[in-house]
Order: sequence, then structure tokens, then C-alpha cells
Amino acid sequence: MSSELLVQGVLDYAIFMLDTEGHILSWNPGAERIKGYTAEQIIGRHFSVFYPPEARAQGRPARGLRIATAEGRYEEEGWRLRRDGTRFWANVVITALFDDNGHLRGFGKVTRDLTERRAAEQALTESEERFRLLVQGVLDYAIFMLDTEGRIVSWNTGAERIKGHTAEQIIGQHFSVFYPPEAKAEGKPERELRIATAEGRYEEEGWRLRRDGTRFWASVVITALFDDNGHLRGFGKVTRDLTERRAAEQALTQRRRLLAHLVEAQEMERRRIAWDVHDDSIQSMVAVGMRLQLLANRVPPELAPQVRQLDESVSGAIGRLRSLSFRLRPPGIDRHGLVEALGGYLEEVVTGWGLRYAFDHSLEGEVPTEVAITIFRICQEALTNVHKHARASTVKVSLAPAGQGVLTRVTDDGVGFEAPLGPLTGREHFGVIEMRERAETADGWWTMHGEPGGGTTVEFWLPTPPVGGGDAPGEGTS
Amino acid sequence: MSGADGVATAPRVTILVCDDDAMIREALCDVLREERDFEVVGAAADADEAIELATQHQPGVAVVDFRMPGGGARAAREILLRSPGTRVLTFSAHADFGAVEEMRRAGVTEYLLKGVPNTEIVATVRRLGGSGVTR
Repeated sequence: MSSELLVQGVLDYAIFMLDTEGHILSWNPGAERIKGYTAEQIIGRHFSVFYPPEARAQGRPARGLRIATAEGRYEEEGWRLRRDGTRFWANVVITALFDDNGHLRGFGKVTRDLTERRAAEQALTESEERFRLLVQGVLDYAIFMLDTEGRIVSWNTGAERIKGHTAEQIIGQHFSVFYPPEAKAEGKPERELRIATAEGRYEEEGWRLRRDGTRFWASVVITALFDDNGHLRGFGKVTRDLTERRAAEQALTQRRRLLAHLVEAQEMERRRIAWDVHDDSIQSMVAVGMRLQLLANRVPPELAPQVRQLDESVSGAIGRLRSLSFRLRPPGIDRHGLVEALGGYLEEVVTGWGLRYAFDHSLEGEVPTEVAITIFRICQEALTNVHKHARASTVKVSLAPAGQGVLTRVTDDGVGFEAPLGPLTGREHFGVIEMRERAETADGWWTMHGEPGGGTTVEFWLPTPPVGGGDAPGEGTS
Repeated sequence: MSGADGVATAPRVTILVCDDDAMIREALCDVLREERDFEVVGAAADADEAIELATQHQPGVAVVDFRMPGGGARAAREILLRSPGTRVLTFSAHADFGAVEEMRRAGVTEYLLKGVPNTEIVATVRRLGGSGVTR
């Protein structure tokens, strides 16, 4: 019989017959494969051998037959035993077989081994559960789902924290409630879903509303979710509150602007003082000196030495004022650039102190003026320190690009530190503080290190914001 | 000093002084007038005046401040143009490369920094004036 052949050929199902008492009458290769018994080993035995002890104790085998007899069919899933004692998760269908006269003739039993499917299902459930918990527990991101129309269907803790709605308050509402009125009016929420549907994804930064009506600066990613058939099933939406970052960025931008103004104002003031000293004080003293020299030739000889002495002290004062004026004067960075200004300073001043110098620079392109001035002024201070304290014969200055900024080093071959002192204790307190403050005000860093007899190195790094001073990203709405 | 008899026989150096600072200008004139072989033929307070006086007097030497109204470099250029026999000496409080270079481009190579001893001013003017008088 073809149905007999079919049953005999089936490997994935255990298909066998029971008599009315539950003794096994037939056996197929699927049964052998799943349960581990050969036909010879099992035929004639009661089918309760497949049940674990606790199920047998509960009378489950007999119950199955009773229900099948009463209802024609019994189906369950549960643990069964293989011949070797191992368990498998089985789907079992028992069908009562009646003859034409309605007498029970026995049972057909079909058992499937679902162990793998069950394991896979459990793994999937667990992984889904873990993922759900993860999403649920994330505090820093609002992660939620929209249906195809844009209505909210799920909500996490982060969403509640960022937006202020509880799940009960928001689920079922359209996600446009998060948009400011002007964005809603121009159809922005719908447009974003259209773009996400067309391109798979939509991302932006912009203003969003909290439940209490306050705005926050949000980073938003909308991902379209398609099923295996390519049908849109909804959207995933991830929102981050960037208000703090934006505020920090703006604070930074403002600080840089403030610094630029500060540097500019300071340089202007210095320029004014330098010109005053130069054009007024020095000129007057030069005239006085010339007069004193004339006078020295005219006064009685006994007074001449005193007059010459006066002239000499005037002349000394002129020299000091002139170097003060030179130090105060803007170094001409705006006209000639940092490298030339620093090179000129080394040549004119440092050489004048009797120091040899080396100057290495590998800057690509020009440094923004306020940064250049800060570099110049710190170098000037460091070089003055070398002149006053280091007893060095050579000083080396280098400028190099480093990580969106400029790294500057001023190294001498002088006496170095006398003792392992902290950078802010001991000598030249003030100049050191000034250098460090200049660097840190410009968002950079500054260090001075060295060892006794090993020279001193002043090293500092200043960031170089792009020339032209563009604002922080995401500018516009505020 | 040339001759106690008061008769000036040696060739005289005629000088134009140009400086906007009155104290300097007058002191410089007095320093130069001390020399018997020098004659200060004019004193200008700005570039225009300096050019005008140079054109008028054709001095042997013009002492020109670098920074004065109208510009020391322009004054020097014009003086050299209108009074080709004049030698220009920059007398400046500015010793920086830019100032020196600007005067050099105007045709001036002699440069004295304000504050040098009077004797050096006198010696330089005398050398430029070519009087040949040595002391």
C-alpha cells in the first residue's frame, strides 16, 4: 500500500500505532531515528516508556489516550525520553482509530522532535528579551518605534527621560508632537518619514520639544524598517539630546571669540603704549641728550663731567625705553606672518643678547592672527627668560603642526633647573604664569621642563581654529 | 674750526633739517650750527615743507626723519628728484628692518638711529657733505 510506503519512508516523524491499551503495534524509520529503538526492541511494549517518570507518575500517558478516545484527537508538546534516557521536546498527536461500527481499534501516534526548534525559539526569545531590556534600559538615547503612519508604538526609558512623556502618555500619538510648531507647519515630520522610506534612513540635528514645551537640540536618526517582502513595517527612531554639547560648543566658540578680542585689545593697547613711548618719551629724551652734549662743551670745565654723566644716564634710559617699545610693539604678524615676525625677533633681539639661535618651522599655511600673536608673545617671554636666567649660548625655537594646532618648543642649552621644582615655584614666577595663562586661555597647554645642567625646554600647543572662524556645527535656528 | 680770522674760506656744507618734533629739530639745528663749516639752510616740520625747502636751497645734505607728516620716504624720494645734488641722511627713532628697507627703496642708504652721540651725527653729515674738512 502506498500509504504504508509513505509512512515507512518518513524520517522526520515517528509514526506508529498503538492498540487500545497503548501497546505499540507498528514502528517506522522516523520513530527509530527519533526515539532510538528498533522495531524489534519496541513493538509490544507500552508507549508510556517514552514518558519521563514524573509524567508517568501523573498518569499522562493514559490521560492522552482518554482524551483522544473522547475527542478523537489529542495533541501536546512535552518532554519525552529516547532509548538512551536523554530527553527531547516532542510534539505529539494521538488520533483514536474507530472501526465502521464505532468501536475503538487503537491509536495512531505521530511524534515530532522539536528540540532544535525549541532551542532556537528559546534562544531567539532570550536574545529578543535581552535586546528589549537593553533598549528599554538605555537612558541616553530615546529609542522608539513608529508605525508606517508615524504613530508611536514603543517607548524606552531614555525617551521618557529626554522627552518627558511616559509610555502610557505617548504610545499611539503621532511623532509630530515632538516638533516645534513651525516645523510641523511646514510638514517636516512627514517629509522626514518620506526621505527615510525612500533612502532607508534620515538623519539630522534640530530643535525638538519636550513634554513641558521646552526645546532641546536633538540628533535624530530615523530608520525605515522593511519586512522580508520589502513592505514598510514602520520606523525606528533614535534621538539624542545634544543641548549640553551644543551649549559647550557655543561656550567654546564664544570663548575663542572673547580670546580673539582680548588679544586684539591687548595688542592695541601695547601698540598705543609703544608709540607713546617711542614718539614722545624717546624723542624728548633724545633732544635732551643732544642738548646735554652741547651743554657739556659750554659749561665750566669742572661741571662738564656731571653734564656728561647726565647725558649718559639719559642715553641709557633711551636704550631701555627703546627695547621696551620693541617688546610692546605688535610684531608685524598681520603684515608678515608668524614665521617672519619670529625670525625677525630672533635676528634682531636674541642675536643682540649674544645668543646663537636655530629656528625650525614646518607650518603649512598661515596661522590665525590671534593664535600667531599668542605664540609670538609666549616665545618672547620664554626667550627673555633664557636671556635673563639660563646662561645659555644657544637657543632653539621650533614651530610644527600637531593635531589641529601648532606645537612650539623653545629649548636652551643653559643651566636648566636648579632643583626639581614645580613649574610654578621659584624663579620668574610671573613670566611663567603669564605664559601658561596665555596658552590655556587659548585652549592650549604649556609646560616647562629641564634638569640641572641640561638646559630648559618650554613647550606649548595651541589649537588653530580654521581661518575665517566658522561657527560650531548645526548653526541656524537659534 | 676754520680760521680764527673769521673769514670762511673752506667750502661749507649746506644742510636741511627735517623733523616734525620741534625739540629734536631745534636741538639738531643747534648741534649742526656749532660746526663752523656747516650751514643750516632750512628746517622743515613735514614732508611738503622739506621738499619745498630742498627745491629752493638745493642743500648738500638733508637730514630726514623717517616718521613725519607726509612720510620721510616720500620726502627723501622727492628731494633726491628735485635736488639731485643733495645727499639724504635718515635720522630715525626706528631701527627696524621695515623702516630701513622703506628708506632704502626711496634711495637712502645712510641711516642714523636717534640717540647716537652728537659727534657721530656731525661726522656723518660732514662725510656726506664731502667738505673734506677733518678735525
